[in-house]
Amino acid sequence: MNERYSNPYLIGVVLGLILLFSFYTMGRGVGSSASFSRMAAAGVKLVAPDHAKANIYFAKYMRGGRSPLMAWLVFLTLGATLGGLFSAFIANRIKGEVARGPSIGVSVRLWLALAGGVLSGFAARLARGCTSGQALTGASELAFGSWIFMLCIFAGAYATAYFFRKEWL
Amino acid sequence: MGPLYKLGWFDFTYSLQLAALIGFFFGFVLERAGFGNPRKLTAIFYLRDFAVLKVMFTAIVVCILGLLYFSIFGWIDLSRVHILPTYIWPQIVGGLLCGVGFLIGGYCPTTSVVATASGKLDGVIFILGMVFGSLIFALVFPLIQGFYSSGHMGAVRLPDILKINSGIIAFLVCLMAVGAFWMAEKTEEKFGDKETLPVGSAKIKRTGATLLILLGLILAVINPDRPVFSKSSVPVISTEEAEQVEPSVPKAGAPSPNQFKIVDDEGC
Repeated sequence: MNERYSNPYLIGVVLGLILLFSFYTMGRGVGSSASFSRMAAAGVKLVAPDHAKANIYFAKYMRGGRSPLMAWLVFLTLGATLGGLFSAFIANRIKGEVARGPSIGVSVRLWLALAGGVLSGFAARLARGCTSGQALTGASELAFGSWIFMLCIFAGAYATAYFFRKEWL
Repeated sequence: MGPLYKLGWFDFTYSLQLAALIGFFFGFVLERAGFGNPRKLTAIFYLRDFAVLKVMFTAIVVCILGLLYFSIFGWIDLSRVHILPTYIWPQIVGGLLCGVGFLIGGYCPTTSVVATASGKLDGVIFILGMVFGSLIFALVFPLIQGFYSSGHMGAVRLPDILKINSGIIAFLVCLMAVGAFWMAEKTEEKFGDKETLPVGSAKIKRTGATLLILLGLILAVINPDRPVFSKSSVPVISTEEAEQVEPSVPKAGAPSPNQFKIVDDEGC
């Protein structure tokens, strides 16, 4: 029932043009991980406003008296949610499920998703970006650190793959 | 002449609408490629499906060529494009951890958004994890601040490091991409599942590869770093620049050109 996924080279060309459009209009590439950091900042601000202001890292999101969520990347992430939803809808791929390999249980998969999320969230802040904001964007502008970052992502994942093969295969 | 926003063509509010539009297409193509599915994403690490490499590398090559050709044609002022600064140590450690997080969690930040949009509960949990991970980062930030700013090299690019012009670098990246695609295709033939892999015509692939190498070669020959092509990178005062900025009449009303400081958000 699921439509087959599109050709990756075609998608790559279109994605490259989207990235180019972003550079042409905004002078910057795409990204998303900062949105989640901003959500964390917004959450802390809601619960304990003084604490949020006192945190050196979150303080940079509070500049100009704006909400931490009034940011370019937050809107981009919102757009990506809608775009993903639209694509999944027209391909008849919207389905409530826990995606995993055949030999792993739902609860283990969810705990691993949480662990992977925590690691990625932390790592993306440390590296000042994720696969989109650092690797895709930085590699396109030939930034040195971004190329190293991208190679390290692949190195980290390939090094771990064997130990978690039951999760996916 | 771009980048439009930094030359004051529109204000912060409009830039947010543009962000949503760019994001829409971004999310749309990622879902098209199957990147809302963690088994598809992680299959590259088991040598079964190299869609991640093909999409990323094609996008990077197209964007590199696009930026350099735009700059040659005078359509974009590359000196106004925000170049991500290099902090080598945190980028190495962050990259390795990101890779481990990707393999264990099944997603990278943007693909988890797309997964969530297509109904995956593990995508939602991954996002909650990222919010929590960012919170931990902010809490321990005073302790790791030294490491966070270690290895700072400024906004260095590969041409600066390797001391060759960006045209040659672009050509080398094109060659590398074609080589990587060829290896990916061979590996998929061996380990991949032909039932689920998207099909493509060998003729189109060959034409595409030739076109890439040709476009790269032209750049390598004409050298986009030559001063002829970067006239417009002189500060705003220059007369040519003033002409370019002219269409942005609302400049007087809204202080937009200076406002972009607010969004000087790092990378991602």
